[in-house]
Order: sequence, then C-alpha cells, then structure tokens
Amino acid sequence: MNEHSFTFPLLHNTIGIMTPFLLAATGGLFTELAGMLNIALEGLMLIGAFFSVVFAGLTGSLFVGVLLGIASAMLVAALFGAVSLNLKANVFISGLATNLLASGLTVVLAFQIFGNKGVVRFEIATLPSLSIPALARIPILGDLLIGHNVLVYLSWLIVVLAAVVIYRTPFGLRIRGTGLGAPTITSLGLKPRRYQMAGILISGFTCGLAGAGLTLNLSAFVPNITSGRGWIALVAIYLGNKTPWGIVIASFIFGFAESFSNYAQGATNIPADFILAFPYLLTVLAMIGYSIWRHYRDRA
Amino acid sequence: MKRTRRVGELFAGTLGLLITLGISFLIAIVLIFLLSKDPLTTIYYFFVGPFTNKYYFGNMLNAAIPLVFTGLGIAVAFKSSVFNLGGEGQVYSGALVATVIMLALPESSGYLGGPVALAAGLATGAVLAGLSGFFKMKWGTDELISSFLISSAVVFIVNYFITGPLDDPGNSMLATYAIGKQYRFLAIFPPSKLDISAVFAILAGVLIFFLMYYTHWGYEMRMCGLNREFSRYGGINVSTFVVLPMIISGALHGLAGAVAIMGTYHVAVKEFSFGMGWNGIAVALIAKNNPLGVLPAAVFFAYLDAGAKAAMLHSDVTFEIAAIVQSVIFYLITAQAIYSFLRYRKRAPS
Repeated sequence: MNEHSFTFPLLHNTIGIMTPFLLAATGGLFTELAGMLNIALEGLMLIGAFFSVVFAGLTGSLFVGVLLGIASAMLVAALFGAVSLNLKANVFISGLATNLLASGLTVVLAFQIFGNKGVVRFEIATLPSLSIPALARIPILGDLLIGHNVLVYLSWLIVVLAAVVIYRTPFGLRIRGTGLGAPTITSLGLKPRRYQMAGILISGFTCGLAGAGLTLNLSAFVPNITSGRGWIALVAIYLGNKTPWGIVIASFIFGFAESFSNYAQGATNIPADFILAFPYLLTVLAMIGYSIWRHYRDRA
Repeated sequence: MKRTRRVGELFAGTLGLLITLGISFLIAIVLIFLLSKDPLTTIYYFFVGPFTNKYYFGNMLNAAIPLVFTGLGIAVAFKSSVFNLGGEGQVYSGALVATVIMLALPESSGYLGGPVALAAGLATGAVLAGLSGFFKMKWGTDELISSFLISSAVVFIVNYFITGPLDDPGNSMLATYAIGKQYRFLAIFPPSKLDISAVFAILAGVLIFFLMYYTHWGYEMRMCGLNREFSRYGGINVSTFVVLPMIISGALHGLAGAVAIMGTYHVAVKEFSFGMGWNGIAVALIAKNNPLGVLPAAVFFAYLDAGAKAAMLHSDVTFEIAAIVQSVIFYLITAQAIYSFLRYRKRAPS
C-alpha cells in the first residue's frame, strides 16, 4: 500500500465531514458578530436533520425535504430569538433550552410517528454528487475537490456569500455594529434587536441545511445524530477568530480530526478518543495563547 | 419603604416562578393530550406516578442527589458572576478518578479508601474548573468557553479509560470493574436505590448556604458577583474571587460524580453521568442560585424525570416528553420580561 492510498481518502472524507461544521459555524458567526452567544446551534441542526429527512420521506423529494428542514430550523430559531430578545431571557439559558427542546421533540415525534426511538430509515434517493470538471483541472487539489455531494459545494458558496455580506454590505456593517455596542446602532435610528434576530434566523437557516446534510446522506434519522457537531461549530467560530476564512480552516481541522479518528483504529496506535479530544485541546490552547498575547499587548 | 420593595421583589419572584412552572405543566398536559391515546391515565402517572410506591419515590430522591451537588456548584459560580460550563466533564472525571482509587487500593485499607476516593473525585473537579478560573485571572481568557472546551476534551479521555484500560471484559456494558463492597454507600430506603448520600447532599446544601451568607469569603464572592468594579474599590481582592468560585464549583461537580459511583452505580459506565452537569444549571436557576433552594429544585427536576418514566412504563408516551417540559422551564426561568411585568403590576395601584 503506498502513501497516497491512505492520505487521499483521509483528506477527501475530511471535506465531506467538515461541511456541517462549516455551515453551522458560518451561520453562527452572524449571531456571534451581533453580540449574542449562540449555544443553540446544536439543537437547530438537530431540528433540521429530523424534519428534512421526514419531509423528504413524506414527499419523496429531497429538495422539498431540505427546504422544509431549513424552515423548521428557522422556526425554532425564531422561538429562541423571541424568548431571548422579547422576553429578555438569558441567551445562554434559552440556548440550552433550545438544545433540550430539539433532542426531546425529535425523539417524541419519531416515537409518535414511526413507533420507534432508534434508527428510522427512509426510502429516498441519496444526495446527488457533483463532478465539476473545472475543479478537477486544478493541480494536486483537483481530485480532492470533486465527487462530493451537492451540499458540500453549496456550503462553499454560502461561506463566500457570508464573507461578502459581512464585510461589503450595509447589513453586515450593522450586524457588526450591533455586536460592538448597541448605542452606536440606536443613535443611527436602527433597532439592534432586529439585527440580532436576523443573526439568529441566519444561523437557523445554515444549521437547518447542515442538519439536512447529515440525515439525507444516510437516508435515516438517528436520535441525537448531531452528537455535539453544533458545539464544535461554536468552537470553530472562536478558533477561526470570528472570520469566515478562519472558520473554514477551523472546520477543516475538526473535520480532519474526525476523519483521522475513523482511520486511526487500524492505522495507528493512538486511541481514537485522544484524537477526538485533540481539537478541543487545540482550541483551548489557541484561546489561551490569544488572551496572553492580548494581555501583554494592552499592557505595553 | 425598603421593606415593601423587598416584599414586592419576593412576590414578583415567587409569582414569576409559579407562572413559569404553571405554563410548563400546562404544556405537559397539552402534549399528553396530543400524544397519548389514554391521556387521563398518562396524566395520572406523569404527575402522581413518582408517589405511588416506595421504589419510584426513593429512586426519584436518589436521582436528585447528584443534581443537588451540581446545582450547588453552579449556584456558587453564578452567585459570584463566574460561569462554569464544564460541569459534564468535571462530574465524569471526578467519577473516574474516584473509581480508579477504589479499584487500586488494596482490600486491607478497608473503609479508609472511601473518604480518599471522595476527596480525589472532589480534587479532580476542583483542578479542572480551577484551571479555567486561573486562566481568567491571569490573562482574561473567557472562562465560559474554556471550561466547556476542557470539559469536552476530558469527556473523551475518560471514555478512553472506561472503554480501554479499565474495561471489565466480564461485563456486557462498556464499564469498569465494580468497586469493592466496603466502598458502597448504605441503602436507606429499600427496595429503591436511595442511599445515605442523601444526607450528604442536605449537609452540602446547608454548608454552602452557610459559606455564602455567613462567612467572609462568601460575602466577598457575592459582592464580586454583584459588581466586580465596585468590589475592587471596596478593597476586595477580586482576582481571587474569580478562581475560588470556580474551584468550589468544580469540587462540587467532582464530588457529584464520586458520590454517584459509590451510592448508585458501583461501576463507571460509559457516559453514565451525561446530563448531570447541564441539569445542574437548570436546578441552580430554578433555585435562583440560593443554596437552600437547590435542594427542592433538584427534587423537582428529578420529579419531572420520574413522572415521565412512570408515564412511559404505565402508558403509551415516551420518556423524552420530560425534556420538552424541562425546556419550557429553561426558556421562561430567566425571562426578565415576566418578572418586570409582575413588578410593574404590583406597583401600579400605589
């Protein structure tokens, strides 16, 4: 076995695995920039995962499933936003509530509709893969970039779009302004709450899509299928220093760690659990390093 | 004047809590009517089930014990305006370290090993949370995120030990070897699992209440919680009171894990403690971060779980409806709008 046959699938899988992190983190970035801690990414993703596959199964159309999965996640995001912004609940607690609601609601509904709390399978088509010839022609990277499902490419478009919106539009400026301090925004006659709500709804949109990717890939729903991916996405926002490009790199690191741990059992002596713990340790070290740097910079 | 204001606050606080619990119960009833073919039986078991026999009742109280410890841990931190989001990892690793100590000690050490194991579990949680406090004090690293990250990493490492080197191949579960008989807490309410650690939980509640309200440290922690800048001008060494609440908080979480092993589980099963950390946050919030309030709040939280379990066993709904009801409580418990509305209503006539 040559070196290439091991590294290639490792990297190719990384690109698939990182997609839910990338999507959820990109949406979560809008909430974060608007000055709100979005702990609900996990729950919103789970809602998207459940409803997209259920609706795809009911209608027989993946497209309708994805759309309604996104709509469901946005609906729950709206609830999260309304409780946090209008009822003025602590955003951290209402985020936990959203996660708890999502894990409870999906299992209760699965049990009610399918009489089953385990894996629910659906007779639906798998997500179509795309082979974009233009990408294949890129030297070295080309082979890695082709043959992924359509949501992977959509996630790249969304990241680019997010970067443009955040840095090049008045809306993005206002979202960032809201996060820097509400008075600036109110003095312009704008409502900070509206931009925070927009940030939450955007995170609902991307989390819904991220969740749809998880279940439609399997053509099945598994309870708690997100298994901490929303939390990793939140961490990716911090590791990525709250920029879209940083999030791409952070998501790649998390995706690589998971991809590597899938291979590691047979290939190396490092236990898979250590590899799974590694991105968290890396992030906490990066955070500490960053705060040390800031600490001494402010002193000087 | 001042007195009326205080009574008004208490009134708004209590009424707000009752409204929150009322809404969540209402939603539970609506859910049951939507989901169950025999809603009246289901409602009976959901609300009354935990009181119908000694086994259910004792197990409900037993499930509240770890929640008392984690709830107290969160209450101490929140009261000092410090955030410990690493409860899950602190409970889990506290349980593992206590288990390892009990498995490693020779039989001849007898009962002495029990306190050693408890202390080791406590220390594990204290160190893990204390690290985040230390980083915050030293360099201003956000303790909320860092405690969560450290905890998440630790969960995987504990998983490795439970399913790897410590795994008992004679056991069909992913679990360690069982701890010796001499370390197991005395059952006090058979046939249920309720054990003597219930007394420890009550003692811990009283002790933490005393610490927070009747000691110098407690006063300074609460002052820092109210206003850190003001406390600094008042001459309190505020940086100490970032680390100390984290250490106490982590210690209580670690203790929760050790106690759960010695009282209930007797083996460390993979992921056995999941939820104890998160639910501790809910318990502390229901109790409004009052250490004595944590005791009934933990029992209440365990009651919701026990009710849902009884309803599942005797009727046609699934256990997870408890999670939906708990999420409603979560949503409303910190909703300032409800409380300010009540305060406004109360003051309006005068």
